[in-house]
Amino acid sequence: MPIEITMPRLSDTMEAGTVIKWNVKEGDAVKSGSIVADIETDKATMEMQCFDDGRMAAIVVEAGRQVKVGTLIALVALEGENLAAVKALANAAKSAAPTQASAAATSATKSSNDSTSPVGAPASAVTQTETRHGMEGFPAENAVDGDGPRMRASPVARRMAEDHGLSIQSIQGTGPAGRIIKRDVEQALENRSAAKSASTSSATHATLAPAQALAVSTSGVQTASSPLALALPGRDVALSGMRQVIARRLVESKTTIPHYQVTMKFDMDALLELRASFNTKLASSGVKLSVNDFLVRACALAMAEHPYFNASFAGDHVRVHSVVNIGVAISLPEEKGGGLVVGVIRDADHKSLRQISGETKALAEKARTKGLTVQEMSDATFTISNLGMFGVEHFTAIINPPNSAILACGAAVEQPVVRNRELVVGTQMQATLSLDHRVIDGAMAAQYLASLKEFIEEPETLVI
Amino acid sequence: MMATTTPSGSGANSTHGAARKLPALPSTTLTKWLREMHLIREFEVRCMQSYQEKKIGGFCHVYIGQEAVAVGCTAAVNLEDPIITAYRDHGHALARGMSSRACMAEMYGKVGGCAKGKGGSMHMFDRPHNLYGGHGIVGAQTPLGAGIAFATKYEDEVMNAGRNRRVTLCFLGDGAVNQGSVYEAMNLAGLFDIPVIFIVENNGYSMGTEISRGTTMSHELTIKGRAHGLKEATIDGMDVLAVYHDMHELANWCRENSRPAFVDMKCYRYKGHSMSDPRKYRTREEEERHELNDAIGKFERTLLDHAVVTDASIKEIMNSTREEVRDALKFSNESPEPDMSELYTDVFVEPWGRFTGSSLPEFMGGAANACRFHATNGKEGLV
Amino acid sequence: MSRSNSAVLSNPLFREPTLMGGVTHEIEFRDAVRDAMSEEMRRDKRVFLLGEEVAQYDGAYKVSKGMLAEFGERRIIDTPISESGFAGMAIGAAAMGLRPIVEFMSWSFSLVAADPILNNAPKMLYMSGGQLGCPIVFRGNDGAGGQLGSTHSWAVEGLFSNVPGVKIVIPSCAADAKGLLKTAIRDDDPVFFMESERLLSIKGHVPEGEYLIPFGHALVRRVGTQCTLCSWGRPVNFCLEAAEILAKEGIDCEVIDLRTIRPLDLPTVVASVRKTSCAVVVDQSWSFASPGAELASQIHRHCFDDLDNFVHRVHSDDVPTPYSSKLEQEYLPNVRKICEAVRSATYRA
Repeated sequence: MPIEITMPRLSDTMEAGTVIKWNVKEGDAVKSGSIVADIETDKATMEMQCFDDGRMAAIVVEAGRQVKVGTLIALVALEGENLAAVKALANAAKSAAPTQASAAATSATKSSNDSTSPVGAPASAVTQTETRHGMEGFPAENAVDGDGPRMRASPVARRMAEDHGLSIQSIQGTGPAGRIIKRDVEQALENRSAAKSASTSSATHATLAPAQALAVSTSGVQTASSPLALALPGRDVALSGMRQVIARRLVESKTTIPHYQVTMKFDMDALLELRASFNTKLASSGVKLSVNDFLVRACALAMAEHPYFNASFAGDHVRVHSVVNIGVAISLPEEKGGGLVVGVIRDADHKSLRQISGETKALAEKARTKGLTVQEMSDATFTISNLGMFGVEHFTAIINPPNSAILACGAAVEQPVVRNRELVVGTQMQATLSLDHRVIDGAMAAQYLASLKEFIEEPETLVI
Repeated sequence: MMATTTPSGSGANSTHGAARKLPALPSTTLTKWLREMHLIREFEVRCMQSYQEKKIGGFCHVYIGQEAVAVGCTAAVNLEDPIITAYRDHGHALARGMSSRACMAEMYGKVGGCAKGKGGSMHMFDRPHNLYGGHGIVGAQTPLGAGIAFATKYEDEVMNAGRNRRVTLCFLGDGAVNQGSVYEAMNLAGLFDIPVIFIVENNGYSMGTEISRGTTMSHELTIKGRAHGLKEATIDGMDVLAVYHDMHELANWCRENSRPAFVDMKCYRYKGHSMSDPRKYRTREEEERHELNDAIGKFERTLLDHAVVTDASIKEIMNSTREEVRDALKFSNESPEPDMSELYTDVFVEPWGRFTGSSLPEFMGGAANACRFHATNGKEGLV
Repeated sequence: MSRSNSAVLSNPLFREPTLMGGVTHEIEFRDAVRDAMSEEMRRDKRVFLLGEEVAQYDGAYKVSKGMLAEFGERRIIDTPISESGFAGMAIGAAAMGLRPIVEFMSWSFSLVAADPILNNAPKMLYMSGGQLGCPIVFRGNDGAGGQLGSTHSWAVEGLFSNVPGVKIVIPSCAADAKGLLKTAIRDDDPVFFMESERLLSIKGHVPEGEYLIPFGHALVRRVGTQCTLCSWGRPVNFCLEAAEILAKEGIDCEVIDLRTIRPLDLPTVVASVRKTSCAVVVDQSWSFASPGAELASQIHRHCFDDLDNFVHRVHSDDVPTPYSSKLEQEYLPNVRKICEAVRSATYRA
């Protein structure tokens, strides 16, 4: 079985990539780890490495072409495989249905011969009507359009896969014409948790079917547990899809981004007073502003002067974003499986406190009940994490990639403060920035915090 | 002119002599009839004009020539006696008391119309004046007319345990006489002693077909009523005094006896069946011959003979009706078009019934769910 | 069980018959219909019954048995075979404020009265700009099953549900028939109430005491997790039977009895389909442009991301109703067809 190389997903927003150049020719030997091609994503040009030893048998997508993530772009023949035969396979795939993992492709061919589709089914109440009046003269259900085979999945299967962070392409469909249906997703989820415990105990994927292996490698969680931990009595809790994503992304963040922290204290009396007076006035219209709403607006407004806090490190350059989308970390209740999502307030620098408040509330509510859509969680350019409501005074947060900074806010607490050389009781809050040193230096961080301080201590400026 | 005594010998007949003699009514009443006839004619002329100016849409059937029928019949009964008619209904509406503003604005499709612009020319409803439409389907109003009369009788006799005291006038054209529903209605009326008078406004033509080409026994139309045991009468519909006299007597008889009747009301429409009728099926000479027998002219001469009116007062009447119709046109022009929300009102009294279920209205698309909410007003779907 | 809202629950007249408890009587469907009419006629003098053979003959199907004796010939009225005439007459009476109940011996015969019942009753309110309504109930036998041949076997809901301004009620059992008919008689709009000749002799438990069932209030007759069966009228009983067979095969069906198709209780259906991801609609009218097609379309719209398969439909076959008993049974939406549809919809075919 030759190895299929598909267009990799090299950024969180990448949906398609362009092969800039192939570093190998057909027939060349390749080794695991060798850089076989340069791929341009929506953000940068990245190197693509090969994960297997063998020979490049066929280049399916030539340099210069853009294809969707997951599309087959090359085939690597393993030792002992006939190069020409693999090449022929690639050509067949190219002309008929260029793409896809073998599992889906073969299953599509296989199930189209099954009699599960209404067309070929024996006459029954439903199919009679459908075939006599609906289906005659229509192309068979497994027909493909010009751009490649369609991904066949029932709507609920797509949704469930997305909810669980499962790549739909990785699932084998058992419905008519290979349609992926609800029970296929349920099966894949079951397999995944089984695979997870298998990988933690034996650290091997050998027993997994290729489809599930792909699913696991996509989520990429391969943390080795210490032998001591395994030896102690306890119970194993399978990772939810979300937990896997958190594990992967935060490990990646903490291990690849040079983090450092800068903390500052803000006087909160003026802000709290203003907030109280607004909330009294707006009570009848159901508006209740939180401290966090003020912080979102303050952080967003401060971007005008400090654009690098609204930027992403992209390998050979820094991308300064022209929109300000503030992410708000939302923790999910235990009964919903726990976890953490980041809801995004788009164009936060153009929104009033009231709008921010409304949107944040709606996002939090939706996150905790129905769950947020990908759209509602993507494209944050800066993130705020607030544990003030739990009484935490100070903490540091891990940067939410590809952001370059995150603000961790504690509780506003009454404490002795020196004002005009006198000791008085004041309310103060500590805020800690975690920063990507590749983008932001310490002095820049101090200046950003100073701007925030101005907004927060003179909160009228947030209203204007 | 036409005056026959029915074989059953009812009192409902008219003669030249009777027509020339004035009924014992105050002169103001007679003048009022003349004014109503003038009003209808002026109104219908302006309708034709508005139709040609595209202010009025759809189908439009004018009543010019038949004014004596509507005016004489409504004068012959009480306001509490219901009236129902077909699609040539402006004359009945005006004679029954609908304001010319509401009538014209309805045709203009404006909110000032009797049905807020939702019915149009063929569907004039005026509940306060006991006018139950205005019905567009030929003959369809006849079973309804029988039902309205059934209801008045039921209310008087069953619910109030009294005697029947109302009679219903159900107008139809001679073309409708060939519709099955008319025979079913007459049969039921005869069978159930329903006090309804089916008045066939026999203007000689069903659309473009002369009556004898479409109807058997058209020379003796009353036989159709006789077949169902209805009291019958043939009345000169071009003579308002004859219409009043004969209808008054007939209506009282029906009321007293709680029985139905059938009237062959001989008349003539000067204009086409509808606005798009070129009248190729008859000669101009025929039309002129009938115009000489014009009901308004004849009534004016009688009133002048009896010194009820003068030339000057007739002029005044004509001026005032012209003024009234001009005002109606102005009102209709200026009346706003219905609010878009009207599209969704009046579909149901209570869309989900008084015992509302669990469903939320926004679940149903279109106007089906209709009375008080806006199904498609940007609030589609669940979320 | 069924979803409820506080407005309904706070109405003391509304009680779900299956939840009422207390004394119940096992009576035939036809008795339940009669009890509803008699109770309403005792309560409101404006209500009267007319139709062919309803009085002296005690009803062609004995639905109105004994009513002439109680209410007299002024209120229980035998009409000639003249549907267009008496339907129109009743509509005129309703426009005046009476509350007629018109019995069509069969809804198939209502087709000769199509003009009054479709052109007058549902449009009067709109065309008069709200001046005149039409509080009337048309009721009678609907649907095939009695070897009556095609002209007498209409399921008219397929035609009539297309018309705005009517309410369409199709009960599946005696208790519902009673509660829904009482609501229909009190309703201010025209109601088409469709009984089934095949159900008239079927007995059911009807609670003692007064109750009304609101329109647009579906009942979940069987709770299940894997497939939602939606139906109304007689086929609901087939669905329940099919659900038992399917349960033995490991397919757990939820059965929803819509009770009224206009108004249509979509929230109950949607909530169920969101749970099961699978829906089969069973409708005894022909498939093309039918209420079943409408419901399937609404489910596709509101549950799009919840569906694991397209909504399957079971209808009467697209042919005139045959006379032969064997052919007729095959023609109807029967238990076998429902089972097949559910297996197909749940990918167990």
